[in-house]
Amino acid sequence: MKPDPSSRTRKALEVATVLARWLLGALFLYMGLNKALHPVAFLKLLRQYEMLQSPMLLNSVAAVLPWFEVVCGLLLLAGVAVRGTALIVILMLVPMTLMVLDRALALQAAQAILFCAVKFDCGCGAGEVFICRKLFENCVLLTLSGWLLSGHGRKYCARYALR
Amino acid sequence: MSVAADSCARAKKLILEALFVAVVGVVLGFTANTLSPRGLVLSRNYFPDGTNAAPQPPNATTSPRAATNSNSSAPYQTPIAVYNINGKGLQLIECNQASRLFHGRGWPGNLAVFIDARDEEHFLEGHIPGAYQFDPYHPEKHLPAVLPICTNAEQVVVYCTGGECEDSEFAAIQLRDAGISNQKLFVFTGGITEWTTNNLPLEIGVRGSGNPRKPSK
Repeated sequence: MKPDPSSRTRKALEVATVLARWLLGALFLYMGLNKALHPVAFLKLLRQYEMLQSPMLLNSVAAVLPWFEVVCGLLLLAGVAVRGTALIVILMLVPMTLMVLDRALALQAAQAILFCAVKFDCGCGAGEVFICRKLFENCVLLTLSGWLLSGHGRKYCARYALR
Repeated sequence: MSVAADSCARAKKLILEALFVAVVGVVLGFTANTLSPRGLVLSRNYFPDGTNAAPQPPNATTSPRAATNSNSSAPYQTPIAVYNINGKGLQLIECNQASRLFHGRGWPGNLAVFIDARDEEHFLEGHIPGAYQFDPYHPEKHLPAVLPICTNAEQVVVYCTGGECEDSEFAAIQLRDAGISNQKLFVFTGGITEWTTNNLPLEIGVRGSGNPRKPSK
């Protein structure tokens, strides 16, 4: 008996979605730990965006955000509250991407170079990166998060939804 | 249940779940920061601008230039350039001046102390021989040891990596706030980068390790 092609496609999609969830989780865990282990370096990078003027607020964001990413990464890896975590990841990624874009445009104007030649440490946890690569990465991460938010990737989840 | 009511309930459930994740993440984040030995002190201003301090001219008896005059055979003939950094009331010295202070440290009347404002990892990789480490992001760790030394010194030269590094400025401001006279505080903005570029000696490891990196030929 021939296997149903649509069921094969569904299965492949399911596997791909689980892999995507693990990839997203592992990436957030890695990036978060990188920042959490060097909080002063992250604090300095965050300050460069000049978004938070109050020292208390700046310190709080620099102190909490890396661990927050670690928590999100762990939840995605374990498959706990997947849609809620995916929504949080999107809500973090969108403003972060806009901030990085804004800074890259400022650097491009200051250095008078091509946009894709702009390279700086955006505080994302991976050191210095070229802006076009960073924006592409963030778009991929946003797409993956959106895919998880839409309800895919229920396989191998410890607790897909909290209730 | 209608389709609209169903999707409304699902959206509500999703938002509640996201809120739960956010609250857990924030609580765990603050807890982890508190427990971590590298955690940030939330109430501390890590980037003091020092704009409240009025710029002061260098004192005739404590400036490196004055120190140069204490020994006529000293190679300190060029006038020392002293500037205020960004209106922070700090004085700047250049690499050749820092080098002269370094090489003349043993002479009477020239008690210059070098303060390395980088973190421990970079300090151990190589610092100006005899320099004391003072990481401005962990003042509680270094200030008790460094403060009496700076108090007794005639010139205090603070440096960090150089380039865009501001840590030497923050360290100098903290030293000034701790009571070190602004008149003997100097910021070497070229930092360790300019120091090594000029082939000046480095000490590897802890202070006084006796493990110098000789200037390359």
